[in-house]
Parts: sequence; C-alpha cells; structure tokens
Amino acid sequence: MNITLRDVTKRFTTTTAVDGVSLDIADGELFTLLGPSGCGKTTLLRMIAGFAAVDDGAIFFGTRRVDGMPPYARNIGMVFQNYALWPHMTVRGNVTYGLRLRKLPAAEIARRLAAGLAKVNLTGLEDRYPGQLSGGQQQRVALARALVLNPDILLLDEPLSNLDAKIRVQVRGEIRALQHELGITTVYVTHDQEEALSLSDRVAVMRDGRVQQVAAPKTVYERPVNRFVADFVGTNNFIPGVVKERTEAHALVDTPLGLIRARPGGVAAGGACVVAVRPENVTLHGAADNVVDGRVRLAAYLGNTLRYDLETAAGVVLKVDVGDPWQHEVLPVGRAVTAAFAASTAIVLRDD
Amino acid sequence: MTIERAVADTATAGAMARRTGWRAAVPALGVALIWAFLAVFLLYPLARVFYDAFSDEAGRLTLDNVVAFVGDAFYRRSLWNSLVLGLGTVVTTSALGVAIALLLVRYEFPGRDVFGYLTLIPMISPPLVGVLGFTFIMGKAGTVNILLEDWLGLARPINFVYGLHGVLLGETLHLFPMITLNVIDALGRIDPSLEEAAESVGARTWRRLAAITLPLTTPGYVAGALLVFIWTFSDFATPLILGVHDLLAAQAYLNIVQFVDRRLFRMGLVISALMVVLAVVFLVAARRYVAIKDYSSLSYSRVARRRLRPLAAAGAITFLSAVMLAAFVPYLGVALASVGRGWSMTPFPVHYTGLFFERVIVETPKYVVNSFLYSGLAVVLCLVIGVPLAWIIARTRLPGRDMLDGLNTLILAVPGTAIGIAYIRAFHVELPWLGVPLTSLWIILPIVLAVRRLPYTVRGSYASLLLVPRSLEEAAASVGATGARSFRDVTLPLVWRGVLVGSLFSFMTSLQEASAVLFLSLGGWETIPVGIFAFYIAGSANEAAALGVILIAVTAVSVVVINRVAGARVGGMFG
Repeated sequence: MNITLRDVTKRFTTTTAVDGVSLDIADGELFTLLGPSGCGKTTLLRMIAGFAAVDDGAIFFGTRRVDGMPPYARNIGMVFQNYALWPHMTVRGNVTYGLRLRKLPAAEIARRLAAGLAKVNLTGLEDRYPGQLSGGQQQRVALARALVLNPDILLLDEPLSNLDAKIRVQVRGEIRALQHELGITTVYVTHDQEEALSLSDRVAVMRDGRVQQVAAPKTVYERPVNRFVADFVGTNNFIPGVVKERTEAHALVDTPLGLIRARPGGVAAGGACVVAVRPENVTLHGAADNVVDGRVRLAAYLGNTLRYDLETAAGVVLKVDVGDPWQHEVLPVGRAVTAAFAASTAIVLRDD
Repeated sequence: MTIERAVADTATAGAMARRTGWRAAVPALGVALIWAFLAVFLLYPLARVFYDAFSDEAGRLTLDNVVAFVGDAFYRRSLWNSLVLGLGTVVTTSALGVAIALLLVRYEFPGRDVFGYLTLIPMISPPLVGVLGFTFIMGKAGTVNILLEDWLGLARPINFVYGLHGVLLGETLHLFPMITLNVIDALGRIDPSLEEAAESVGARTWRRLAAITLPLTTPGYVAGALLVFIWTFSDFATPLILGVHDLLAAQAYLNIVQFVDRRLFRMGLVISALMVVLAVVFLVAARRYVAIKDYSSLSYSRVARRRLRPLAAAGAITFLSAVMLAAFVPYLGVALASVGRGWSMTPFPVHYTGLFFERVIVETPKYVVNSFLYSGLAVVLCLVIGVPLAWIIARTRLPGRDMLDGLNTLILAVPGTAIGIAYIRAFHVELPWLGVPLTSLWIILPIVLAVRRLPYTVRGSYASLLLVPRSLEEAAASVGATGARSFRDVTLPLVWRGVLVGSLFSFMTSLQEASAVLFLSLGGWETIPVGIFAFYIAGSANEAAALGVILIAVTAVSVVVINRVAGARVGGMFG
C-alpha cells in the first residue's frame, strides 16, 4: 500500500513541528525519516500512525484518506522506541492481544502466533514475561506484535536505539530481510545516519519540520542538496568561498585555499557558497585537480581508517582519511604534507 | 485497493464518526461532573465561610468581626499559642524524625528492620486515641504518678500532660513518623554519586551530612513538616482533652458548638476563615520553596549502609527503643482502660472485664456500623471522582488541569475544623424537593469524608499512572483497542495497585477523621471517633478506650494490607 502526504502540518503552541511536508511513499518501500532530534520526524510518524492530529494537510493510505481516523482503524503495525510491551502480559499475551480484540477463532490465533514468533526467531518463548527477555528479544516481540495483524503499513520509531551496538547491527539486518520478504510498506524513523543509509530504499532528511531532500541513500550521501544534508549524513569538509565561474560541468570557486575546481551545485556565479569534500576523497599523494598544502595537527588511528586533521596556512582545517592504514606509516604532528582531491568529488553547495 | 474495500472503509469511518459524536460527549460530561463536585462541596463552602467572616447578621459586608477578633487579647493569645505550638511540634518532630530516618536508611545495626516497622506504629493510633492513652498512664492519677507516689513518696503528682507541653508531647509522638517517612523517601532518591563527589573533595561525615545530604532531602522534608504544622494547628480534640482552651482550633470548636451566643458563633467563623488563610499561605510558601529546590533524580543505586561500631549501635538502639516505648505508652493505656475496672489510685486496673466492649459493640453497634458505612461510601466517592481526576492531571492538557491539581493539594492543607464549620454554614439551607437541608441528611458525612480524603486516592492513582508510559496505551491503540478497551486491558491492570493503596489510605484516614465529622454529626450518626470524644467528655473513659482499641485494630489491619500491596513505600503519599 502506498502512502501519500500532502502539505502535512503540525503546530504546537510556540513551534511548528512539521511544516507542510509532502511525500509519496511507494508500495513495499522501506522509507526512512532521518534528522536530528527535534526535527519533527517522530511527530510526522505519529501523525501517520494517528497518535497526533494533523493540523493542516492530508494523509492517504492508497486512496483512503486516513487523517482524522483513530489509530485502530488505520490497519497499521507500530514498533515503539521503548517497545511498549505490556509488562503484565506474556509474550503470547502481547502478540495475540490485537488478534483477540478482533475475535478471531482460537485455532487461527494460535497459527498466527506460531508464524509470527517463527518470523522473528522467538519460538519457545511464548510464556515469558517482557521483564524476562533481553533487549533484542523484547524488540523482536514488539515487531511480532505489529506484524501478526498483517498491517498495510509498518511504522518503526527508532526501534534500535535501546540496543547495544553489535545487536543493533544484527537486528537491523533482520528487519531489512523481513521487510523484503513481506514486501510491506515501512516508514522508519531514526537519527542514526548509518542506520538510515544501510536499511533504506529512500531517505527523507528533515530539519526544523521541513524535508530537505528525498532520495536513495547513495544519492543523499554523494549528491546532498545543501550544507545541512552534507553535514548531517556522514562527515564533510566545508570550505567557504565565492563562485567565480560556472558551466554545466564545472565550477571554479574562490576560497581561502585558492581557486578550487568542483562540481557545480545550485549556486550561480558571484554567489557565496561552501565547497564540500569528504575526508575519504582527499589523498596525500598530491596529484589531482585541487592541491592544498598543510601541516599535520592531529592523527587519529581508528583501525579501519586513519584520520588526519591538516591545518592550512589560511587557517582552514581539512580532514583527510587514509583508507588503508596497514600500508601507511603514521605521520608525526607538524609534518608538512600536500593534500589533493578531484573536482568530481568536491561539490558546490548553498551555505544553509 | 478494491472498490468494495474502499466502500467498506468509508462505511466504517462513517460509523466511527457517528459513534465519536456521542462518545465524545461522555468525557466532557465526566469533567463537568468532577468540577461540579469540587465547586459545590469544596469551593462553595469555603467561600461561604469567608463571606460570613466579613458580613454581619443582616448579610451586610463589614470588617467589624475581624476588628473584634484582632481587638480581643484572648484571641490574639490563642493565635500566638497556636503558631508556637505548630512550630514547636515541627521542631520536635523534625529532630526525632530526621534522626530516625538517617539511622534507618544509612546505618546497619541489630534490630534495624524491626525498628523500621515500629516507626509506623504511632500513626496507627488516631491522635484522639493516643492522647486518651496518655492521660491513663501519664495523667495526674495515672500509672506513672501512682508508682512515683508509692515508691518515692511523691507528695503531689507531677503534671506530665495537662497544658501546652502535654499537647506538644502528644502531637510529637503521634506525628514524627510523617517526617521520618518523607525523609526516608527523599534519602532513597539521592544518587550515591552526589555524596561520593562530596567525599572526593574532602567533605567527611558531618560536613557532608550538613552540606549535601540534608539539603537534598528538603523537598520531601518540607512536605512532611507542612503537614505536621497544619495537623497540629487545626487539631482541637487533643488540646481539649488535655484541658487547653486558648488555641485557635479549640476556640473555633467551642464557639461554634455552643449555639447560644450569635456573636461567639460569628467569631468561630472568623477563626475558621483565618485558619484556612494561614494554611493556604503556608502551603503556597512551602510549594514555592520546594519548586525551586526540586532535586529529585531517579537513582538506581543506593548509598551503602554503614555498620555502626558496637558502642554507637548500642546508642542507636537505646534512642530508638526510648522513642518507640514513649510512642507505645498510649496503646498500653487505652488497652488497659478498655478492659480494666476499679483503676483509680492503683498503678494498674484491679479487675478486668469485657463489659465496655459489650457496651460499644453489642448494645450500641452504631459506632462501628456508621464508621464503616460512611468511610466505605466515602471511598467509593473518592474512587469515582479521584481516579478520573488523577487521569486528567496525568494524561491530558485540559484547560483547568493545573487548577484541579492545585485544588487537590489545597484539600490537604485546609483544616478539617474549617471544613466542618464551612459545611454547617453552607448546607444549612433547605434543598428543593426534599424540604430539608443537607445538614440533616446523614449522606453529608460520607461526602465530607470523601472531600477530605480525596487527595490520597488522587495521589496514589496519579503516581501509578505516571509509571505507565503512554506508549503502552498507544501500542494497544495501534493493534486495534479503543480508548476504553485499552484502559481496561492495559492501564487498569498496571495501576490498580496504586489506586488500591490510595483508596485504603483514604479509607483508613476516613475512619480516623474526627474534626470535620464532630461538627456535622447528629444523634444516631456517631462514628467511632465521635463516640470516643463524646464518651470521654461525658466522663465514661472506659467506653472511649474500648472504642479506641477497635479503631486501632481496624487501622492496623489497613496498614498491614497497604504494606503488603505497596511494599513499604508509602512516604510519597503525604508529599
């Protein structure tokens, strides 16, 4: 089932939490709302679920308009950030509560319970109480509870934020596989950009109640539309400047580091901008479109990468990643080096 | 989506819209009823007392009454005495209460658990019964004086209890657990790292206690101290039994019940208005103070108890034993008097008999029957009004929500004496259709009890509602439960414990209520406390004691049940 949002707005007394958001989420898509805390992503999800009223605009599931309907009439499945498992009910009680409300026959309930628990690998834990389960298991019970009703839409509100780092990666993979298998339209809220990139078919990056960019993960990472998106997703170097020349394929930007060649963004010649270039695209070999001299100020060894902070004569700090530190001798602080990056990896962005 | 499905959906949505049409009216009606109840049975009577205090017999507004009050040296002295007594009791209960709380929470010594339970005992006996017991043991012809005369040849009995010092003693021994419970609760909320941090910068033992630990317990402590003050300030039964008349509450009672002199009656009204004003002023001041000093942080670990060295442990045990023994004296006195005959000029009764119990239970069962009937009805009212009220405060942003919260706290502060007087004035008008005033219908007693004890039910329910995250209800809604269904299946199973504890507290304290009920009770409506007061004033101390024993027994059972259900954490109930 596809979801359509038209100019959806939510106002609180002093702020507008969600400000005229329009989105088209395709049938079977895993769609992520990504943004810092307070950006309105959870409020938007709660409006889709029906827990928050829509002040302006409309929400459609397929052709059915759902805003104004109570949550229980929307046929959604929701997984809450704190799981919201009912502590006085067993796993069986939690998972089958919705089925019992629908007065399904006992045999059907038992069948769906077994199938639901099998899907999330919890078979055998039917009689445990939530307090007797690990965090990862609780998370799966919450998922099973949402799925046994065969919902049209699955809504996930930061479902992994309460898990340990290792378990998080594992459950993340399980959610993705399950969602693929069921082909259920899913809206996923997170502030973790790595989670968003690895899981999603498409990502909407939000800020202050507005959607900044909607695109596939690779596009969001490599072709951000503005500085905010480039900064929030991954790590970036931002070099302020003024566009000097601009053609279809190239831009020439006047910066404190000298003239930089970059891909043109949405900034016309003569306009103020920032040039964004990711640390992994900067090398220390000193042979590319753009060359910058600097000194090592800090070296941080992270195992799979080595990150240098280079300080240039103009005072700009440039982060540089060495992707294969096994083959690289760590340079001492103060060593003069030359960094370089290709014009195709530098992008001109509006400074907002 | 198929056409059929779309049509079906639209039909469902239509049905839903119709249902929400009248369903939406139900909550609004409920809120209106709660407001109406509080307006009629709390705000209107209080307003009436203030109107009376500032008007004359013809209903004209005037300041004469207030001028007369201020101009009367006797009333001025009564006000002064009441304030001194209230503050004095706060000081004595604080010294005892804080010391006991610190010992129980922070130190390990033999018998610590037992003393923890014993601390609750003074609260089991209603103040009226406690003071009775005191007079039997510590009175001029009581056990202690007789023994002193027999053994030491004491010429004249020592006056232990009659007078302000006796009132102070009685109130202190009855009320110190309120401080103890609140401070224990507050100590449990202090994150151990705060004290460890103090220690790491060099603040040891006493320094740390004074600079860190005690200041952090102020919010809990202030709440307890406020209740101690208001309780002492508005108690008239204890002083009257101990022969002290020059206190505000006692004057209010005497002036109101004499029914002869209109001028004195009017003075009683002025005094009760003044008591309300003072109580509210102290409440607001305390709230301000607590609001700016709310340090509570939920800590998951506790400060480890220190084992006391043998000498210190002996000191702690001696101190606690002495306090508990003193607090136990009233029980001994009441128990002996309830079965003892010929107890005069002897240290202990000469004969023992069940006659007095027979008189108050078998011959006149009305005391027990009335007490249970009125308190039971009061609790039903508390539940009907209090649980939705708690839900409104905890879960909604309805306009007036803060005011409901404020009114609920106000009830805790308003003296029962003032409420009783207010009801006499406010409901002495004939009701339409019935042709009699509400004051001549016994239903007024359950109503006044419900109003007085509402805060306990509300607080118990509110606290447990806060512990149920809203997402649990939302999860129920997401799998198809309507609001009422999710309340029944999810919310109620998780909060009933807190609601029950609050209701039991309401019930227990309703049974003990003396002040408001004494004003409103008519012949045939007597509850146990009313009976105790009436018997004692009429000189039948033994019957009073027998009723006292019954009241203590019932209360003790309630306390045991509450402890079982709540698991010992009852301190928050008084905050």
